[in-house]
Amino acid sequence: MSSISVARPDLLRSARARRFWRHGGLELALVTLLALALWTAISASIARPDRYLPSPVSVLDSSRDLLWKGILPNYLGQTLWRLVTGSLIGIALGIPFGILVGLNRTVSEMCYPILNFFQSISGIALLPIVMIWWGTTEKTVFVVVLYTCFFPIAFNVLTGVRSTPRIYVNALRTLGASRLRIVRDVLLPGAMPSIATGARLSIGYAWRAVIAGEMLAGRRGIGWMIFSAQQVDRTAQVVLGMALIGVLWILLDRYVLRPIESDTIQRWGLVQR
Amino acid sequence: MTRFGRGRLRRILLGAIPFLVLGTLWQMNAVYRWLAPIHMPPPASVWSAIFTLQEGCPGLLDALRQGSGCLLTNHILSSMGRVALSLVVGLPLGIAFGVLAGIHRRLGNALEPVGVFANAISGIAWVPLAIVWFGVGWRTTLFILLNTVFWLVFFNTLLGVRGVPRVYEHGVLALGATRWKVITQVYVPGALPSIVTGIRMSMGFGWRALIAAEMIGGDRGLGFMLFVSAQEYKTEEVFLGVLVIAVIWMLTDRACLVPLERWTIERWGLVWRPS
Repeated sequence: MSSISVARPDLLRSARARRFWRHGGLELALVTLLALALWTAISASIARPDRYLPSPVSVLDSSRDLLWKGILPNYLGQTLWRLVTGSLIGIALGIPFGILVGLNRTVSEMCYPILNFFQSISGIALLPIVMIWWGTTEKTVFVVVLYTCFFPIAFNVLTGVRSTPRIYVNALRTLGASRLRIVRDVLLPGAMPSIATGARLSIGYAWRAVIAGEMLAGRRGIGWMIFSAQQVDRTAQVVLGMALIGVLWILLDRYVLRPIESDTIQRWGLVQR
Repeated sequence: MTRFGRGRLRRILLGAIPFLVLGTLWQMNAVYRWLAPIHMPPPASVWSAIFTLQEGCPGLLDALRQGSGCLLTNHILSSMGRVALSLVVGLPLGIAFGVLAGIHRRLGNALEPVGVFANAISGIAWVPLAIVWFGVGWRTTLFILLNTVFWLVFFNTLLGVRGVPRVYEHGVLALGATRWKVITQVYVPGALPSIVTGIRMSMGFGWRALIAAEMIGGDRGLGFMLFVSAQEYKTEEVFLGVLVIAVIWMLTDRACLVPLERWTIERWGLVWRPS
């Protein structure tokens, strides 16, 4: 694959195109067409397709309507804003917490079970309690997303810090390094792969928590859109929202999270244990 | 390392400290009323919520028979029953289709994006459409769980089968093996670590999705119990439900899935990979 990268720019385009077709592009195009055809056929053959399975055309039609009124961009923006703020703050809090706890063996052994416990309570299960505390406010969704993000990342950072070989820490210590220096030069780089993996995992959980939070707490967003559309029998909007949720997550995962993870592992992950 | 050595005892004792501190704070809150009981019910009332919910339940046998008075055990059994059913149905289907797609290169290439897309919309996003199709009730929640389990297991099996080096297949074929032999002796064992990881992931995501689906589109189960209790402001029942959910998940994950994963990787995971 890397041998193509030295090709001249005019060749690059065709080489890239050829690589796309060779690595499953043809299959992707075929299977998409097939799925759309199957979907259209099923929706044409059932009774009341508007209610049970609207055809792709009517789904697109409903998107035009929503775009025209400016509702769709607004909802998408709000959902993404919730995801980004909640998960970034959760990660920003979780990383230092995990490192601080991981510094000391006794403290880390103390905190491991309780972090594990809170990690296994999903944020969605906490939604009813948080709704009793703060009602159906923006705070409710934010806190649930924050919670969903914080514990997996803190847990992963702790595991990553603890699995950094002691020999590196000791080596730096014999050279007279300070604590801060050890954190910066040994523990943080050593924990980088777990941080990246933990971040991707926790953002995946947070994405589902945002959707569920919007549905249950009734905050405007893409999750709320599909929930309320179902209640007024607009199934086309439900399907549209589902497709958008899928596409958004694939874009986020493919072009943001996975590159960060693989770059981090490539850069920091090949430490000799 | 001995099984009950000093290190293990030390870890258990140390790990108990934060739980004790939190429990003490919780009890102190009940005494000093920093937070109102409706927001943070005292431990004693969470404990007694068990007996309130189980009021019309004379004995263990009645609970197992799902008598009408045993609310808590009925909800637990109902959720766990769906998990068991989705395991019995979803796992074999996911593994079978995953292996089928994995051994055919073209088919695998074609079905991989389908798996990616299906996993991206997994769980909670299907709930409104499932309600349209199946109505509010157990069918919807079962569909959500099955959907999550099937696609994750399918996708991981597909990746696992495709990751098995071709050399092994050629080697076994050269020795005169049948197609079936290749599947059972090469592909399935080679893909097992990936399959087991898929099972663990599917249980993790599936359990969360099930709770959420029961809240929105269910009529029984732990998630439904949480939601109804919250609407009636019976906070102690909500706390009880959350604790039960956490304990069930920790028991399944720590006692079954993690050992299963570790055993599989130890037994099957260290395959020599030709470079």
